[in-house]
This record gives sequence, C-alpha cells and structure tokens, in this order.
Amino acid sequence: MQYFMDLVVVGFSIGMVYALVALGISFIYSGLDIVHFAHGEIYMLGAFIGVALFKHTGLSYPMLLIASMVLTGLLGVAIERLFYRRLTRAGGGYTFAGMGMIICGFGMSIVLQNVAYLIWGAKPLPFPVSFGMPLEIGELTLPRSYIWIVGAALILMAALHLFLKKTRLGLAARAVAHNKEIAYLMGINVPMMISVLFGIGCALAAAAGVLVGPINYVQVLMGIGILIKAFAAAVIGGFGNLPGAVLGGLLVGVTESLGAGYLSGSYKDIYAFILLIFVLMVRPSGILGVSIKSKA
Amino acid sequence: MLEIAGVEGGYGSVQILNGVSMRVARGQMVALLGGNGTGKSTLLKTISGLIKPWKGSITFDGQRIDGLRPDLIVRRGLVQVTQGKEAYPGLTVEENLRLGAHVRRDRAGVRRTLERVFEYFPILGDRRNQFSATLSGGQLQMLCIGRGMMSEPKMMLLDEPSAALAPQVVLDIFRIIGRICREGTTLLLVEQNVRMALLLAEYGYVIRDGVVHIEGPAEKLIGDDNVRLSYLGGTVADRDGGKNLRH
Repeated sequence: MQYFMDLVVVGFSIGMVYALVALGISFIYSGLDIVHFAHGEIYMLGAFIGVALFKHTGLSYPMLLIASMVLTGLLGVAIERLFYRRLTRAGGGYTFAGMGMIICGFGMSIVLQNVAYLIWGAKPLPFPVSFGMPLEIGELTLPRSYIWIVGAALILMAALHLFLKKTRLGLAARAVAHNKEIAYLMGINVPMMISVLFGIGCALAAAAGVLVGPINYVQVLMGIGILIKAFAAAVIGGFGNLPGAVLGGLLVGVTESLGAGYLSGSYKDIYAFILLIFVLMVRPSGILGVSIKSKA
Repeated sequence: MLEIAGVEGGYGSVQILNGVSMRVARGQMVALLGGNGTGKSTLLKTISGLIKPWKGSITFDGQRIDGLRPDLIVRRGLVQVTQGKEAYPGLTVEENLRLGAHVRRDRAGVRRTLERVFEYFPILGDRRNQFSATLSGGQLQMLCIGRGMMSEPKMMLLDEPSAALAPQVVLDIFRIIGRICREGTTLLLVEQNVRMALLLAEYGYVIRDGVVHIEGPAEKLIGDDNVRLSYLGGTVADRDGGKNLRH
C-alpha cells in the first residue's frame, strides 16, 4: 500500500506537469486552430529561462516561476507574430491550415532546440532549488518539490478558469476561439487576442518546465518526450477540451508511474500510449471530447 | 451619418461591388434591398471592415472608416447586427450580450443597457443564464439585436433580421427595430423581405450586380414596377421583354 501510494503521488505530480503542457496545447488549438508541435521546446525554453534567472538573479522560486512564464509567454507571442501568423493568414484565416502549419511547428521545434544549444550547450543543467525537508504525512513521505508542482499547477489552472469565465477579456477570448469574424464585429481586437491566447498557452508550458526542473535536469532535448506525452494526454481527454487536457495529463502520469513501478521501469514510456490506444478504442473523441468539435 | 462613395471590392480577385454609392442620414432608417448574390452581404462586410474596399470611400460620422480594423469601427459607434444564427451557441444569453458591450469599460452603464435590452426583449431576461443554443430562431435574432444595442452605437447595420423566421415573429422583430430607430439610433436595414422593409424605412436602395440599381423614398419604391417585379414576386418577363431577368 505504501509503495502504491508513493507511485500515485509521483505519478500525480508528473501528471500535473503533463497536464500543464497538454493544457497549453489544447488551449492554443481551441483558440487558434493551430496544432502546435513546437510546444515541447517552449517548455524546454521555459525551464532554461528559469535556470538562468535562478543563477543570475536572487528571485525566490515563485517569482522565478512567474518571471519565466512572462518571458516565455512573450517569446511565444513573438514567434507566433513573426512566423505562424503569416501561415495562418495565407491559409485563409485561422482555420485548419493544413500541412504548412504542422511543418512550420516541427521546423520551429528544431530551430528552438538549436538556439537553446547555442546559448546553454548540450550538457544537462541542474536546477538546484532547495525546498527543505520532505513533508511527512503519516506513512507518506512527500518531497516538497512535488507539493510545489501540484500546488502551483492547481493555482494556474484555477486562474485560467477564472480568467475565462469571469473576466471581460476571458469572455472575449472564448468568443475569438469560437468565431473570429463575429468576434471582430463585437469590437474585439482579434489580432491582439490571438497573441494573448498564444502567450498564455506558452506561459503554461514554461510553468511546467520550471516546475519539473528541480526534480530533473534541464536539457536541450527535454521537450521531445513531453510533447508526445502531452499530446497523448490532450487526445485522451478530448483534443481542444481544457478540463480534458488536465484529466488526460493526470491519467498519463499515474498510469506511467504505476506501470513503471509494478511492471517494468524500462518500458516507462510505453504505458501512456497503451492508455491512449485503449481510450481511443472505447471513445474515439477522448474521454471528455464530443464528436462535434467543441471549443473552450 | 454614413456615406459610401464609389466603393468597389470583393473577395480575393473576384470583384463583387462595382462602385456602390449611398448615404444614410442621422436618425434615418434606410433599407438596402436585393436578392441573393447581389452584393448585399459583401457591402455589409466592407462597411464593417471585415473586408477592405479596393476603391472608393466610406465616411462615418464625418470620418473615413474604409480600411480601418473592424473593432475600431465598432469603437466609433457603427455596429453590425449579425443574423440570429451567428450568436455564440456555447455562451449564455447574458454572456452573448456582454460580448456586445466589449468596447465599454463602464460596468454600471453596461448593467443599465443590459436591463434596457431585457426590457425590449423580456424573453432574453427570462433566459439570461441559458446557453443560446437552446433558443429558438426568433429568440436568437432578438439576442443578436440586443447584442448590437449593448455598445450603445450611433448606428446599426442589420443583416436580414427577418431571415428564416415565422411571419408573426417577423412582425415582433420589425416592431422593435422601429422602436430602436425612434429612440435615436440610425439604421441600415438589409433585407430580402422587401415589403416589410419598405413599410418601415424612409428610403431604400436596391442593389444588383454590385451597383445601386434603383433608389428612392420608400413609399415610391413600394409602388415602383421594377421593384415590384423584381422583388415582390411578380412574373417579370411579360412586362419588359425579360430585361429584369438578366441575372
């Protein structure tokens, strides 16, 4: 039982990281109709920016997290403005623009990997934040980094939810996600909202990167694995569905952790996809997905 | 209030508007009539900024607005009321209405306008927390008109408010439109329901092949043979050798 609980705790924490990245991917898809294949690299850059800030400034960990989210979000906005928007515009607005956008995403992922390589090198960097002693709750020993991951992720998700449901800008964001032309007629500055949406998606990935940094090394290729798992998570939950992305992330994390603990650690990366195949067999549109394309 | 001079435009390289000129005076209700594929919707989109005109000018309230981004045109007080089917189905009635007030920052004022819209359309007040997907066609049209009122515009462009509605509902909608105009909002009413539109409006333009084909005071147009023949369901060929059947 003790062992099981430990595995669940670890899986749940990692699942929160997957969930944040999946949330960003789903958010960008539901808002902009962009399937963003460079999102793993945004996560990686977020982690590197976090490490750099940690080394060169005396910021506390929560401030690091926020600063990295802001900087990475702005970087994402710049990338979208400079590269993606030309493509989506050429494809006749923000409809599914076909292969061009997908190839551009993959290309961007390679470019960003190499940019990070040129700046920070190939060697994995430690992210030595000290959180203090693990927390003991009865039989359970919880490393504080896991508590940080779960707590920060929950706060971010709640903040996103409140933003979308309770604010004027969030309402506008949902309108833009659903139909850009009508949003324009409501007096919404659509190009600006698109930047905001993309920036938020990137900031979520950056948060995941900064949160995972202290329990892992930060390295140039860290985005590849997480991209695939976050995609699996987003699809499991229902692509474009925000609560679905969170649910999918947690399921992937826990499944992976239990599989690695009870079956075999060397096949750790397979379990997420077994889960994916199983879910798609039973519910092809994902757990919370509906067969008609649903939007935020 | 609104002056359109020699506007040409279209989609991509397909020209649809071939030099449209028209004007709407302050406080007036003007009808813009024409069948399918005559350029009405293209003209509306050009006025509200969704597509840029190739030539000509659009002046609103004394200032050029052609080529301006649509949200900036809304901020100047010119709002397009979409057809009912363009309400956001995944948002509640109140959220749809609040979207219409996006350009306003005065919370108290927005709440007052919201109450005013509910006074115009009590059914929307009853259903304010329902998803608009659950509304009927007529209620959706009311929602879209209410949404247009939310920014308290100087002028509204109404895109076929009677489309696909039952006759009784059409009457209700037109009564409200008349009231909105009386209370001081300038209106451009784009309609296929020619008779109703001309009964309500003061002046009418009939657009065809992307140009203004006929124009005149509403009571004149309603008696005009060409208008009647083309749009009020007469058989045309016998009158003038089929001249009006060209398209």
